[in-house]
Amino acid sequence: MLERLLRLILILAILAGIYIAVWSARRSAKGSAGGPPPWRDTKVLIIAAQVAALGVILSVGDYLWANFRARTDEIGLELNFDFLDQPSGISIADSPLDPNSSIQNALIAGVKNTFLIFIVGIPLAVLLGTLIGIARLSTNWLLTKIATVYVEFFRNIPTLLVIVFTWQALLLGFPREQDSWLIRGSSTAADSGPPSLEGLFIFNNKRFAFPSIGGGENFGAFQVVFLVAVVAAVAMWVWRTRNFDATGTPHRRVLWSFATLLVISVIGYFVLGGPFSISRPMIEQRIASGGVKMQMPYVAVMFGLVLYTASHIAEIVRGSIMSVPKGQVEAGNALALSGFQRYRFVVLPQAFRVAFPPLINQFLNYTKNTSLAIAVGFAETTGVIQNLFGQSRPAPQLLLILMLIYLAFSLILSAIGNLINRRLQIVGR
Amino acid sequence: MVSSESTAETAYLGAEIAQALTADRPLHSDQTPSQWVKNNLFSSVLNTAITVVSAAFAGAILYFGIRWAINVEWEIVRANLRNFMIGQFPKDELWRPWAGGLTLVAAVGLGSAGMARTSFDDATEKGLPAERPTWTALLRRFWPILAFIFLVLTFTRTIQPTLGVLAGLGLFVAGRLIGWQLPSGIRRFSPHIIGVGLVALSTIVAGSGGLVALLGGLVGALILATAIGDSIDRTSATGTVVALALPLLGGAVVWFVMSTIDSFGYGWKDWGGLYLTLFVTVAGISTGMPLGILLAIGRRSQLPIIKGFCVTFIEFVRGVPLISLLFFSGFMLPLLFPPAATIPDGTTRAMIVITLFSAAYIAEIVRGGLQAVPKGQTEAAQAQGLSAGKIQRLIVMPQALRAVIPAMVGQFISLFKDTSLLAIIGVAEFLQIATIANTQQEFLGKGLQPVTYAFVAVGYWAFAYTMSKESRRLETRLGVGTR
Repeated sequence: MLERLLRLILILAILAGIYIAVWSARRSAKGSAGGPPPWRDTKVLIIAAQVAALGVILSVGDYLWANFRARTDEIGLELNFDFLDQPSGISIADSPLDPNSSIQNALIAGVKNTFLIFIVGIPLAVLLGTLIGIARLSTNWLLTKIATVYVEFFRNIPTLLVIVFTWQALLLGFPREQDSWLIRGSSTAADSGPPSLEGLFIFNNKRFAFPSIGGGENFGAFQVVFLVAVVAAVAMWVWRTRNFDATGTPHRRVLWSFATLLVISVIGYFVLGGPFSISRPMIEQRIASGGVKMQMPYVAVMFGLVLYTASHIAEIVRGSIMSVPKGQVEAGNALALSGFQRYRFVVLPQAFRVAFPPLINQFLNYTKNTSLAIAVGFAETTGVIQNLFGQSRPAPQLLLILMLIYLAFSLILSAIGNLINRRLQIVGR
Repeated sequence: MVSSESTAETAYLGAEIAQALTADRPLHSDQTPSQWVKNNLFSSVLNTAITVVSAAFAGAILYFGIRWAINVEWEIVRANLRNFMIGQFPKDELWRPWAGGLTLVAAVGLGSAGMARTSFDDATEKGLPAERPTWTALLRRFWPILAFIFLVLTFTRTIQPTLGVLAGLGLFVAGRLIGWQLPSGIRRFSPHIIGVGLVALSTIVAGSGGLVALLGGLVGALILATAIGDSIDRTSATGTVVALALPLLGGAVVWFVMSTIDSFGYGWKDWGGLYLTLFVTVAGISTGMPLGILLAIGRRSQLPIIKGFCVTFIEFVRGVPLISLLFFSGFMLPLLFPPAATIPDGTTRAMIVITLFSAAYIAEIVRGGLQAVPKGQTEAAQAQGLSAGKIQRLIVMPQALRAVIPAMVGQFISLFKDTSLLAIIGVAEFLQIATIANTQQEFLGKGLQPVTYAFVAVGYWAFAYTMSKESRRLETRLGVGTR
């Protein structure tokens, strides 16, 4: 290390010496000074500083890389990504993958699970956070106090603790598989192992299961019809809005577009002769089929994260509503708007503009916090990779993949956020 | 409040402002209790409904919570109390953390009272309203921590911890009282007294070699730098050199003396529980701070290579979860040491990563502060002919850092909570002790996890909540965002 640095300093000194020699030679040739000496010339200094910085960064990097190569050679680690095609040796619960499928597929399943925590949890967190944030501004003393206690409690304990606590509470609060809570279902005891369960809703401490839509004949055609219905509904929304802008007749766009969606879908359903039916969840021994099944670790990590993130979102919502000047509400009052209208048309649009950037920040935090699911053994990206570490797969490459996946998540999210934010902000001045 | 005749006029102005500020506030509420209940709980039908529903909700949670807390078996906390506090620290050597802790408490009492007195005198001299900190105010600020200490004492099985806490309280009170009376010459060193207390604690617990000696050297250098700061004329070249070289020399001497004194202790491999959690947080913030400030300045640099490096580092560290960085410390960091070197233990490697992690976050906070300093400040300094280094050190940084103190406390809280992630890589910090306790023979499979987690949650909450209240208090006191 020291030797490399000394060598670097020597090279830099020689370069500087050559430059100064050239400069003084030119000065003596011309006779008088053309500009400041190099050690006072900002142009030269800027370049010199950067060359020196680059030299330090490169030499430190080179040093670490040399150590890294020496260590990896010693333990015989190959630095390539060929291992991704090998069988993973891990099984992921409620997923069609078995230990023989490739590492690559296991990673993709992990990313999907991360995405599932994100896409379900974020709306819930925003909803709960908004409700609590508004509750903190309520005129009702008791409600305000309850909301304050909630926020101050969850903001001041670690996320990981919230998750493991939720996990334990759910495990203890829900019955074992033998005594599952079933709604319109039945349970058949098995001689050994878990019983077979079937029903509309199944709740036990292994998983929650709900009915879902299962495809039948013509299901593909119905999906096309549904897409058409959605497009028609959006078109209806736009038309009603334009009509309202032009004539001032009440737009009732929610009613109109939902009616369009419903009518087209229902017609499609009957024309195609019942293309789908309700799929009931079934659990036979260890194999689950039908319906939507949520494993307990998933429920735990999602609820833990939602409870935690909601406390932060509540503060954002409260702050942003309070940031709207009081005159705005008073002006709304002077225009004889009702309490709801004042909120819907005056306060909330302005508050949202303030709340959006910190909200995106919370979403980014949420994305990173999904990695805490490994504490309850849910197989999302980090969990899968930790399992692979345990199988003595090459750690450096896996670590690189892990970090790149989260970086990609973060970058995409903040790019979308910035895009929306730019449209939200007031343009002008 | 008027301290001398010469400041009478400013004092008068200050008093007037103070009066104007308090004039708006009603002295007492003229509502009767029944009016208050009607206005705040039952003003309308909807409000009444909300009150009834929330009362039922709060009542149910309180009822079940209290019933659970009374009926549940707390033996697991009682049996593991020492683990929760300090982990597997050798039992016969417990006098070390006790003695060190008492020293630190006394030093904090002295130093905080000294600082409070200095700012009180400052304000009085300028004629601003100033309040002597009262014991009730202190109690109101720090009650969660005191309540947690009391809770811990109820779990003890011997009398010694209670006596120790009482001694600590006594030392703190004595420190406060003495600190308030210190002559101003000594009071200047109030922050350093706390620093010396930290060094003393570390020396008593971990011996005087290695990192502790380094910490001692740093504190020594800092004290010397402050002490000679005003007395040496920095306008001459020799003065500047002396002012810079003396602290370095002093620090080196302290470091050398401390590392040669042969004293024996227990390093952080033997620590655990709340003590380790608090230590990792304080160490992470204080080591991350200088690095973070450098990164923030680098990010605002106009040199593309330096700026590019800083931006890449900051955004990379902030873009990945802490757990992946901890994996890095576990699997990748050992591969980066030269083949001949011995690889440091897991806690040390985790500390390295936590330092880098908090540096990246602090860098963004400091950058916010730097952006808040008006450009005119730099330009005015340039017009005065100050060098670039002096502009940063004397003009920009003091303003920027002052503006970000509340955010920095926020980062402290967030790092305090994030250290719980060390549990995932198996470091025996506060949360991990709960898991360890639940795998002990006599408690295994009894479903006692909620009990231990509840205890740990109260511990985390007490410290984090106190800090967040302090951060809000600092925010109002410094007037961040209002000027």
